[in-house]
Amino acid sequence: MNTQDVDTADWLDAALEEAGHEHRAAYVADDGFTARVVGRLPAAPTLPAWRRPVIVLLWLLAGAGAFVTLPGAFDDAFRSSVALLLGHRMGLADFAVLLALFGAAAWTSLVYAARAN
Amino acid sequence: MSSTPVSDAQLIARAVVQDDRHAFGELVRRHQSAVRSTLRRLTGGNIAQADDLAQETFLLAYRNLKSFRQEAKFSTWLYRIAYNVFLADARKIKELPMPEDADGEPVAVADATAPSLSRQAALSVDLERAMLVLSEPERAAIVQCYHNDLSHEEAAQVLGCPVGTVKTHILRAKQKLKARLGAWSPQA
Repeated sequence: MNTQDVDTADWLDAALEEAGHEHRAAYVADDGFTARVVGRLPAAPTLPAWRRPVIVLLWLLAGAGAFVTLPGAFDDAFRSSVALLLGHRMGLADFAVLLALFGAAAWTSLVYAARAN
Repeated sequence: MSSTPVSDAQLIARAVVQDDRHAFGELVRRHQSAVRSTLRRLTGGNIAQADDLAQETFLLAYRNLKSFRQEAKFSTWLYRIAYNVFLADARKIKELPMPEDADGEPVAVADATAPSLSRQAALSVDLERAMLVLSEPERAAIVQCYHNDLSHEEAAQVLGCPVGTVKTHILRAKQKLKARLGAWSPQA
């Protein structure tokens, strides 16, 4: 009991303290209460079903558009940066590995962005 | 082998960071008894209403869990939400439940003579009834300080008022209870 500045030495105080003890000692059985609360929790936010394919489609369209309008730029930039990173000309196997890595990174980023959103 | 019990803070972190509903469910399981019994006191023993308000309390707590700063105990934070939910509901229905015999007449001590009830049990029953004549803030102050064993400072935090106001509510509540339960006074 924490009623410091109130007269604590009377019968009513004793009765209130006793009632407080009883209150704290009495456990209210769950009886499905927790399940009802958890069942009413708001659903986790999810993306609308149409949004993810639309994002992928837009990226594909943007990439295709850039490829058509700047046909040599991608190839030059890609080969230059890879040659710079690896220090040698690329073979078919290197290209395939890089492509797989790039694809995995792109999908991972997309999934993460969609989930965070 | 016994595993270390997970603290409230750890469960809150899981619920917030990982959106772990099981962790929040465990928090509900731990605190449902205290919150429901507090609301039962505040609603004057209306179990159905108290349980509805308790559900609203936990749903609000879930929505606002990110704003819980661990400055107070989680239970104190829940009591505050529960009290606000109770107040909002009381405003909605515009009137508080009042007992039919809450006419200010002192309670008789006749129950104390009943053979099946001890004096203390009879006083407890009368005290329950007398609590219903208190104003809403007075009853809330008594519930927080005596039943939930909060300090005046914690009660002030829960009730959203200054500490002095809590003390005043308790003083007035006790005056009313003394008048109502005058027959129980040793001097009576």
